Amino acid sequence: MTRTLQITRALMTAGLLETLRRKDLYVVLILTLLLTLGASAFRAFGVQGLEIFVKDVALTAIGVMTTVLTVLIAARQIPEEMQRRTIYPLMARPITRGQLLLGKWATATMTASLCFVILALTTLGLLLTLGIGVKPIFVQYVLLKLLGIGWLCAVVIALSLYMTPAANVTLSLILAFGSGLFGRLLLMAHWEHDLSALWLNLLYGVLPHYDYFDMSKKVVFDWDLAPWWVLGAMAGYAVLNGGAWLLIGWLRFRKQTIG
Amino acid sequence: MLPIEVSHLVVAYRRWFKPPFCAVDDLSFVVREGEIVGFLGANGAGKTSTIKTLMGFQPPTAGTARIFGMDATDARARQLVGFLPETALYSPYLTPYETLRLYGELHGLRGRQLKAQIEALLEAVNLSHKAHTLNKNLSKGMLQRVGIAQALLGDPKLLILDEVSSGLDPIGKRELRDLLATQRARGATIFFSSHELAEVASICDRILIIHRGRLIAEHRLSDLTGRVESLEDYFIRTVQAGRDILLEEANAA
Repeated sequence: MTRTLQITRALMTAGLLETLRRKDLYVVLILTLLLTLGASAFRAFGVQGLEIFVKDVALTAIGVMTTVLTVLIAARQIPEEMQRRTIYPLMARPITRGQLLLGKWATATMTASLCFVILALTTLGLLLTLGIGVKPIFVQYVLLKLLGIGWLCAVVIALSLYMTPAANVTLSLILAFGSGLFGRLLLMAHWEHDLSALWLNLLYGVLPHYDYFDMSKKVVFDWDLAPWWVLGAMAGYAVLNGGAWLLIGWLRFRKQTIG
Repeated sequence: MLPIEVSHLVVAYRRWFKPPFCAVDDLSFVVREGEIVGFLGANGAGKTSTIKTLMGFQPPTAGTARIFGMDATDARARQLVGFLPETALYSPYLTPYETLRLYGELHGLRGRQLKAQIEALLEAVNLSHKAHTLNKNLSKGMLQRVGIAQALLGDPKLLILDEVSSGLDPIGKRELRDLLATQRARGATIFFSSHELAEVASICDRILIIHRGRLIAEHRLSDLTGRVESLEDYFIRTVQAGRDILLEEANAA
C-alpha cells in the first residue's frame, strides 16, 4: 500500500509539472477571463431581477468547461505515454500495470480538480462582486463535482485502453453530456414499447450517470443544504462505479502488449 | 540464479485475416552473472521482441523468459534490472533531473540517497550542465544520455540495453564504453543489442546471433579470434547463410 502511494505520488508530481509547463492551465485562465468579461457585461447593464439567470449561466459554463477539460486530460494519460514511447522506461520499473493505472487516474483527477476549483472560485468571486449571493449548498456542489471528476476520469481512462483517443473523447463526451437523457429515453422506451420495469431499472443502473454529480440547479434556485448522507451515498457510488470502470480498464491493460 | 534464462520462447503477433507473424521462434539461451553479452541480428530478426518479452512488455506466446529466476512479467524482477529502450523519448516537459527523480521514485529510491544518485549519474553521463533544461530542448544524443542515466538508477544487477549507442557521437560512444566497463567492474551483468559491431567486439564476452527469430550462432568472442577475419565479416556471412558458418566449417572438417 505504501509502495502504491509512493508510485502514485511520483506520477502525480510529474503530471502536475507537465500540466504547468504544457500551459494547460492557461486554457483555464483564458476561460476565467471570458467569464469575467461576461460578468462585466452584466455589471454594465445591471443584474436586477436576473440573479437566477446569471447564476444559471455561470454554473452551466463552468460545468461544461470542467467536463470537456476532464475528458481531454484523462483521455491522454496512457495513450500519450504509449505514443511518445515514454511508457517503456516507466514500465521498466518495479511497478505493476495496476499501480500505473491507479497513478494515472490520480494524476488526471488531481489536474482536472485543480482546473475546476480555479473556475469555481473565480465564478464565486464574480457572483459576489455582482452582489449575487450563494447559499452554503455551493460547498456541496463543489464537493459533489470533485467526486464526479474522479468518477469521470476512471471512465475515460478505462475507455482509453479499448479505443483510439479520438473515439474515446467522442464517446466520453457523449456519455458525460448525454447521461442526463438516459432516464428520459428509458421512460420513453417503457411507454412506447412496454419495456418491463425490471429491465428498465437494470438498464438505468448499468448506464453511467455523470448527471448524478451535478447540483448546479440547486445552487441556482438557492436550495437548502442536502442531507450529508446523500453526499456519502454519492461518494459510495463514485468509488464503486468508478472502481468498476478502472477494473474494466485493468482487465485489458494487464495483458496488453506495450508499444 | 541466472540473470537471464530464455527457454523455447515464441512471440507471435496476431494479424487480421492473416496467419500470425512469428517474431521469435523457439528461442533458448542463458546469460550468466557478470557476463557482457551482445545480442545481434539484422533488422527484424526479433531482437526487440525478445527484449520486450524480457522486460514484461510483451507476454510470450509460448515458452518462458525468466529474470533472476522470476517470471519476466513479475514486476519484482524489474527491481534488479536497468533498461534502456531503443529510440526512447522522455517527457518533453520534464528536465533530466526531474526525469531521473521520477524513475528513481518509481524504483523505490527516495530522499538524499536518490538525490545523490541522480547527481552522480548526471555527472557520469556528462549531463550535469543540462540537468535543469527541459528535455524538449536537448539533442538526440543528450536524450540518449538521459536514457543511459535512468537505466543505471538503483545500481541494477542486470542491464538490458536496446541499441545502446544509437544517437551518440564518437565521444559519447567512448564514454559509454567506459561506463559499461565501470558497471562490469561492480559486478553487473550486461545484455545488449547493437548494430555497432566494432563496439560489440570491444566490450563483449559472448555474442548471440538471431535470424528470423531463431538463434543461429552463439560464441565467446575469444573463440572467434583467429578463426574469422572480423566480427563484421563473420556476422554478415552467418546472417546471409542463415546458419552458423563456423559450425558448418567445423562439421565439414
